[in-house]
Amino acid sequence: MKTKIALNTCKATMLASAFGLAVSTAQAEPKTNMLHQWAQGSEAAAIAKLGEMFEERGGKWAQTAISGHTSNTLAKLRSDVVSGNAPAAVQLKGPEIAEWNETGRTANLDDVAAAQGWDAVVAPELTTVMKPTGKWVAAPMNIHRVNWLYSSKKILDELGIEVPKTWADFNAACEKVIAAGKICIAHGAADWSDTTTFDSVVYGMDIDLYRKAFQEADTDAMRGQSMIDAFAQLRKMVGYMDDGINGRSWEQSMAMTMDAEAAFFLMGDWTVASANAAGYKEDVDYVCTQTPVDWGGDGFILNADSVVFFEQKDQDYIDGQKLLAETIMSPEFQVTFNVAKGSIPSRTDIDLSKGGFTQCQQKGLADLKASVDEGTLVRSLAHNMTVLQKFRGAMMEVITEYVADSSISPEEAANQLADAVEVQQ
Amino acid sequence: MPDSNTNKRSATQLIQDYLPQIVLVPTVVAMLMYVVIFSLWTLWLSVSNSTLLPDPSFAGFGEYVALWKSKRWTVAYQNLFLFGSLYVLGALVIGTLLAILIDQRVRFEAVWRTVFLYPLAISFIVTGTVWRWIFHPQTGVELALHDMGWISAQFGWITDRDLALYVVVITGIWHASGFAMALILAGLRAVDGDTVKAAQIDGASMARTYRRVILPSIWPIFLAVAVVLLQFAIKTYDLVVALTQGGPGVATTVPAIVVYDLMFQRGQIAQGSAAAVMILVALAIVLIPYAIYMSYRRRGEESTHG
Amino acid sequence: MAEADTLIEFDPLSTGSRRRRITTKAIVYGLLVLFSIYYLAPLAILLMNSMRPLDEIVRSGFIDIPGSVSLQYWAEAWGTFCIAGTCEGVSRFFMNSLLMAVPATIISTVLGLINGYALSKWRFKGADFLFGLITLGVFLPAQMTLLPWAFILGSIGLSNTISGLVLVHTIQGLSFTTLFCRNYFLAVPDDLIKAARIDGAGFWRIFRRIILPLSPPIVIVTVIWQFTGIWNEFLFGTVFTSGANQPITSALVAFSGSGTGVRAYNVEAAAVIMAALPPLIIYVVGGKYFVRGLTQGAVK
Repeated sequence: MKTKIALNTCKATMLASAFGLAVSTAQAEPKTNMLHQWAQGSEAAAIAKLGEMFEERGGKWAQTAISGHTSNTLAKLRSDVVSGNAPAAVQLKGPEIAEWNETGRTANLDDVAAAQGWDAVVAPELTTVMKPTGKWVAAPMNIHRVNWLYSSKKILDELGIEVPKTWADFNAACEKVIAAGKICIAHGAADWSDTTTFDSVVYGMDIDLYRKAFQEADTDAMRGQSMIDAFAQLRKMVGYMDDGINGRSWEQSMAMTMDAEAAFFLMGDWTVASANAAGYKEDVDYVCTQTPVDWGGDGFILNADSVVFFEQKDQDYIDGQKLLAETIMSPEFQVTFNVAKGSIPSRTDIDLSKGGFTQCQQKGLADLKASVDEGTLVRSLAHNMTVLQKFRGAMMEVITEYVADSSISPEEAANQLADAVEVQQ
Repeated sequence: MPDSNTNKRSATQLIQDYLPQIVLVPTVVAMLMYVVIFSLWTLWLSVSNSTLLPDPSFAGFGEYVALWKSKRWTVAYQNLFLFGSLYVLGALVIGTLLAILIDQRVRFEAVWRTVFLYPLAISFIVTGTVWRWIFHPQTGVELALHDMGWISAQFGWITDRDLALYVVVITGIWHASGFAMALILAGLRAVDGDTVKAAQIDGASMARTYRRVILPSIWPIFLAVAVVLLQFAIKTYDLVVALTQGGPGVATTVPAIVVYDLMFQRGQIAQGSAAAVMILVALAIVLIPYAIYMSYRRRGEESTHG
Repeated sequence: MAEADTLIEFDPLSTGSRRRRITTKAIVYGLLVLFSIYYLAPLAILLMNSMRPLDEIVRSGFIDIPGSVSLQYWAEAWGTFCIAGTCEGVSRFFMNSLLMAVPATIISTVLGLINGYALSKWRFKGADFLFGLITLGVFLPAQMTLLPWAFILGSIGLSNTISGLVLVHTIQGLSFTTLFCRNYFLAVPDDLIKAARIDGAGFWRIFRRIILPLSPPIVIVTVIWQFTGIWNEFLFGTVFTSGANQPITSALVAFSGSGTGVRAYNVEAAAVIMAALPPLIIYVVGGKYFVRGLTQGAVK
């Protein structure tokens, strides 16, 4: 009896190990090819880190980095889809996630999301973008805050000005700065940067207007007095800028502010990454606060980079997608990537006091949480998080033309804005 | 058997007779696809429901209406004609001037020729980037002048809405006038010596000789250069993107930029196709008269030569 | 065709009095020098800035006498600068461009020669129409042909390959090469062809014996034109390749894409010059033949 049991156990063990061996040799090799636009600089380095982490977890990493404007990356994406080779992973964001989802070619990440508990840790405003029809389609890499105001500490101290809290304060501060012979606002004119500034103006002056006009593309709201007032404020601000705004890059504007040539700089939090890389110090060269709001409270305009996955036939790519999604949402990647980029993690459960996050970034997370509580969180028009590109593009044209052409009155601009949107409807 | 031999010979003979056409078949097929089918495809897309991806369902001409209502497009279309004509004319004029200068039996001809011709080797992107460095008030000529002591110097054309397009024209001419010069120089060299001698005997000055005798005789070359320059002008994209990015505002936007932006950035393939069709229309406006004129001329030549 | 004695007979500089001759000469050379500054300025600026340290460029702009000069940026541009995921400088993108431009240039030139010969020397019904059709290809803007090409390359399984790119550039180049060659061969006397046909020579014989020996000038023109055009092309090269297969134009654009980094103008200038070298060398060396080929009636 004993021998028989022993023999059976022996056989069973051998069978089990043989089976185990067979399973391990049949394991697929997850691979991926990520299409993105970060071909250079620290963003490229951050993506390289993603690749390293992907390989550490057992995947085979490949990437296609398309240089130049985002339209080049999107051109490649479209061309790949049309030719039948949809990429395994693409950097896409905002309403485009929903648009591509409608084409039916995107992959479903619900199992990975469930297994990793994404619903619990991702900020609510973001989940609506990542789950356009209720299913997880994209993995968010970070959260950028767009409505930062960077003030030159030196100029503030020199002239005894406090960081302005409302737009009235801001205008008064600018008058003082200009009287002292310095440039008030550092700016580089381009459609996206002009609109970034205008985002903050509209949001700060009238948060309901922002929601109606910039998130819902409501043309009646665009023709209203509130919008005209916002354009008037923008015209004032252009007056506080110098003559060289055309052709100046945002990094140069940042440098101007931190070198105390200009007092204020309105830009998103990627400024912090650039500033640190160039050796500028918080509270020495610059101070970071939110852009002025007239309604007293914490405001947050959100921008998020994310990765969308397209359906693949090759099992290796399918496994690679799951692995990549896990890697992107992993705390280690979130820390490394966001420290490098100046943004904050898309996971709300990460402790920002560790890992090398700057004070500004930690402030950003605190403000995010406050904004969620106060119900003032919105997404950014300038950075393609709200309306379809066809509306956004048309609106940005109007805004950038307004900045460039001082003969356009605020009323004309408001109506042009509404007209431009209606034409595309 | 005589019959099968005749058949075999006529088959080979047939191939021999039609060899020119047969040889051209691959190219013609490729061109039919490339020129005709691609254009028809674009035309179809312009009246379809295509947004993010091509969609063959019919949607009417709404996209054309939307396109022409957009300020950026009207500015771009105007810029196409304005830039196109200034660029072609400018390159021709400067090319002619340079060719005449070199034709004066100057020494070191190879050097001059290389200097004026080399820009054609540089890509539009690089051309735009470097000239942007030169034109921008904060990095280029204006800065250099300030540093040299001339503080009030101003050269901010590239940041001026009304003047920025001329910056694009100047840069474009820099790039392509060497090509015009090369062809015109070739033409000048090919001019019939006797006609020129006759003019000289009549006492015409150098300038007069050029104006009345030489240049008119090489006008077909001007036409040929204009054609090549024209296609550069129509396809202009990289140059403007690198030089001004279409700015300030939309002041220097050109149609190719609008097509690309609509199709790929904004996911409005139908409207982008409509814009592309409008570019082809602009092309037709210029080319059809040229084609008609050329066939008139050829018919005229054939009738005189019998 | 060019008259050799035109040059000797008509020398405008030797008309008129001696004083007028000297002033005219001064004006001519003066103008040439002035224009040369306009043409050489960008190259000089590129060269200068490819050797200056970055903070100097940022401080005093691009048009300035270099304070210190170094060749390190060239080494960096070629071998170590990080672009698009690899840190090997532009060397591999340079090779990719070569792999793409050389075959496409050769194939489109050969086909252009044959086409030009067939269209100009063998008058058949519809020859002019076909020529018109082929020439139209010269004018199509690249942006509208992108998606159709993507579809076709996908259907024949060549997407994201260098061969696919070669195919696209070859077909698009056919229009130019045929245009140039056909106009050039028009100048070959028809009598030569007629005589050969009477002697019993066929299509290919005439091509080999008569046309080819006459074609070096136009071959050079076509090769120069095609190679330069394909080498400097950005859109198709970027969209129809992936990963590390991208051409050098893509790498150059990466330098100007900002992101959160300081733009390395000096390394960029060095990379730009390196990228421009192949077409530049071809133009400098082949410039003489370029003009000669055009002299002999390349474009009518």
